[in-house]
Amino acid sequence: MIDALTLVQAAADTTGAYGSFPGIGARGAVWIAAQVHLMFAAFVLGVPMFAVITELIGIVAKDSKYDKLSKEFTRLLVFAYSATALWGGLLLFLLTTLYPRFWGHMARVFGPSMWLYAGLFFVESFTLYLYYYGWDRWKAGRAKWGHWALGLLLNVWGTIVMFIANGWLTYMMSPPSGVTAETLPEQVGLWNAIANATWMPINIHRLIANAVFGGSIVAAYAAYRFLSARTAEERAHYDWMGYVGNFIAISTFIVLPFAGYYLGREIYEFNQQMGITMMGGFMSWLWIVQAVLIGVLFLAANYYLWIGMARIPGAERFRPYTKWMLLLLVVCWIVWGTPHTMIASRAELAAMGGSHHPFLNILGVMSAKNTAVNLMILTTFLSFLMYRRANKRPTVAWAKSGSMIEGAMFALAAGVVVFYGIYGYFVEAIVRIGFSVYQVAAVLACIIGVTVIDLFVLRGAESRGEIRWGEMPERSQYALFVLAITFTWLMGLMGFARSGIRQHWHVWEVMRDTSAQAATPALGAAANMISLCVVIFLALVAFIFWLGGLAERAVQRPEPAGGA
Amino acid sequence: MWRTNLKVALLGLAVIGFYTLIAHIIPQLESEVPEVLTLGADASPEALVEAGERMYNGAGACSACHGLGTRAPNLLTGGGGLGPIGSRCGERVAGTPCKDYLYESMTEPGAYVVAGFENIMPDMRRQLSIDQIWAVIAFLQAQGGEVTVTGADLAQDAAVSSGGSMPVAATPATASTDPQELLAANGCIGCHQLAGSGGAVGPSFDGIGGRMTPAQLRQSILDPGAEVAEGYDQFAGMMPATFGEQFTAAQLEAVVKFLAELR
Repeated sequence: MIDALTLVQAAADTTGAYGSFPGIGARGAVWIAAQVHLMFAAFVLGVPMFAVITELIGIVAKDSKYDKLSKEFTRLLVFAYSATALWGGLLLFLLTTLYPRFWGHMARVFGPSMWLYAGLFFVESFTLYLYYYGWDRWKAGRAKWGHWALGLLLNVWGTIVMFIANGWLTYMMSPPSGVTAETLPEQVGLWNAIANATWMPINIHRLIANAVFGGSIVAAYAAYRFLSARTAEERAHYDWMGYVGNFIAISTFIVLPFAGYYLGREIYEFNQQMGITMMGGFMSWLWIVQAVLIGVLFLAANYYLWIGMARIPGAERFRPYTKWMLLLLVVCWIVWGTPHTMIASRAELAAMGGSHHPFLNILGVMSAKNTAVNLMILTTFLSFLMYRRANKRPTVAWAKSGSMIEGAMFALAAGVVVFYGIYGYFVEAIVRIGFSVYQVAAVLACIIGVTVIDLFVLRGAESRGEIRWGEMPERSQYALFVLAITFTWLMGLMGFARSGIRQHWHVWEVMRDTSAQAATPALGAAANMISLCVVIFLALVAFIFWLGGLAERAVQRPEPAGGA
Repeated sequence: MWRTNLKVALLGLAVIGFYTLIAHIIPQLESEVPEVLTLGADASPEALVEAGERMYNGAGACSACHGLGTRAPNLLTGGGGLGPIGSRCGERVAGTPCKDYLYESMTEPGAYVVAGFENIMPDMRRQLSIDQIWAVIAFLQAQGGEVTVTGADLAQDAAVSSGGSMPVAATPATASTDPQELLAANGCIGCHQLAGSGGAVGPSFDGIGGRMTPAQLRQSILDPGAEVAEGYDQFAGMMPATFGEQFTAAQLEAVVKFLAELR
């Protein structure tokens, strides 16, 4: 009897709940639309952050170079906004037609917030148009400050829009504890559903990640324009733009792992099983792929900085250190990419003599991985510091002491990281987890402390010579492309991780996915989809870049004398 | 310029291809959907153990914690010389047979947490059906012990869940007289649709007030077999006939009034 009832119930649940999509299936269609929409959304939310910062620098420093840069960022946004809206519309239509039961549930829980979302999107778009098209009209005095305020407002609207959408997707991961399969959607409080366990961690993580992503895409744009530049002036401008985009991407990227820890901790707090599925269950190998990608990011970012130092007079004195920094980065990368535990069959466990590999077990634990990633962050920060100091000669009397204090802070931070990394092998897991906080705190304290001291040490510093912007080998620009592509792929991978830990649930333990594609695919299949999304996104971004160049050339081309 | 474009495009494809390759050469693990068991009252212990093993290593995701022995006790090897779970489950709590102990461990895991471990296990009823849980128990018993789970355990639960011949406790699912809460607490939405949500085993509640009078609604709740709605003959007999005992009078009238107003 129970078999018949279960089968009948399953069939009844599924009837009319799912649509079909030719070729790639319903899930594939929604996956692509959601991921590409998200990539564009990240771009249009990330770029305004530093458009408004660079405009402010331009106003305060009275340097039109920054204003021009900010406007160029914003021009890319105008095109990207349309793409974001188009993909968002497509996603909505696909959800409505392919997942009507699920989307009906979401609409009944979140209805009013969806209206607000749409309304704010209008307001955000109009603010962007005012911001961009008003650039040359409101360019001086108080009007300029008003213009800058528009940019600030653009960021406010964008952040609220993102927070609302984050409420929907985090509800799917971590619905409020009282909500069960029997709860009617109308009984779920709207604010309760939005402010769920993972909402704020995702908000913070995405806010930072958007800045990283936007910076890397802008740097790739600059790299492309650098490679296609025809004058030395153009090359100098796009070299500088690429540096600024990369600087923003990497400096914000450095704090991203800390936001990731916070998100991971909240997932464990919400549901241990979900956390274990993510870190030690069928998704455990995903973190090895992530380590490979992040290793590439660190290497490419450092490589770009080291090559860039060749165009800075005085940087030669730092060159001997770079090979040791490279060695450290590679060793740390290998440690970080070492697997630890995995789901294994009984035969595999017997072959290994336990659940862990006899040798890799030593490197694959969190003590080693945390140590590795923190040392990579410190190394990258040191590269930035060398780059920054390259053409400067401090003049303050205490410069030598200041530099020694900075060096001591580096040594202390590295010492704390290594000490707790080793000590972690000798304590219980619950104690070891707490050590990562000390390691992170030491690295953050070093970054903040050294930055502050360096600002004072270099106050009034003499120049060893101007940076020769534009005199950058072409291969350096390909490093910027690698960074942008890797960030994009990483975003797709993390999207799969976040969504995949729900496994066969539309809404965790509330609404099951009873479709034919309910099983969460293995990483290989997921990687195919991620790559497809990345190719679509980058192809569209290339088209937008091309449009941007086309519009610029049309403006620069002089009118033919005498007219038509 | 075309050469630059080509170089950029090739670089992009190479980087994307490299990451895709890495993702393909690592172990490929898929998260399965828990299979619907088709075991009945005549299921043999072997069939139960086999189904339980699939559940344990697959969709139940039990091995993610219990396979390592660091987050939760390793049930298959025992660890620390304890031996596999089947050989010791009957002695874990004095007076509690193995089968009952394991059932409690899966449905009320916080009731007895093994020393040295944290209370991290969820109530598996939110993830698995009762017969899937019994199958896992049979598999665990088979690890060094005697399998005492039988098809009768599944049949007993089937009878309870379908309102069959087993006696059902005549207690209200909730003390509330809020009709929506009553519909949710009594599982009505599992079979009937309301506002587009719910099952399709019974007629939709949407607009039911226009199709049935309050008296007809009352009769359908108290005696669902008296008249079967058109188009639902194949599901006749599935609705429990126990709501007359489960609802208080006030609750019954609140539900009837609510449904009658759905037009």
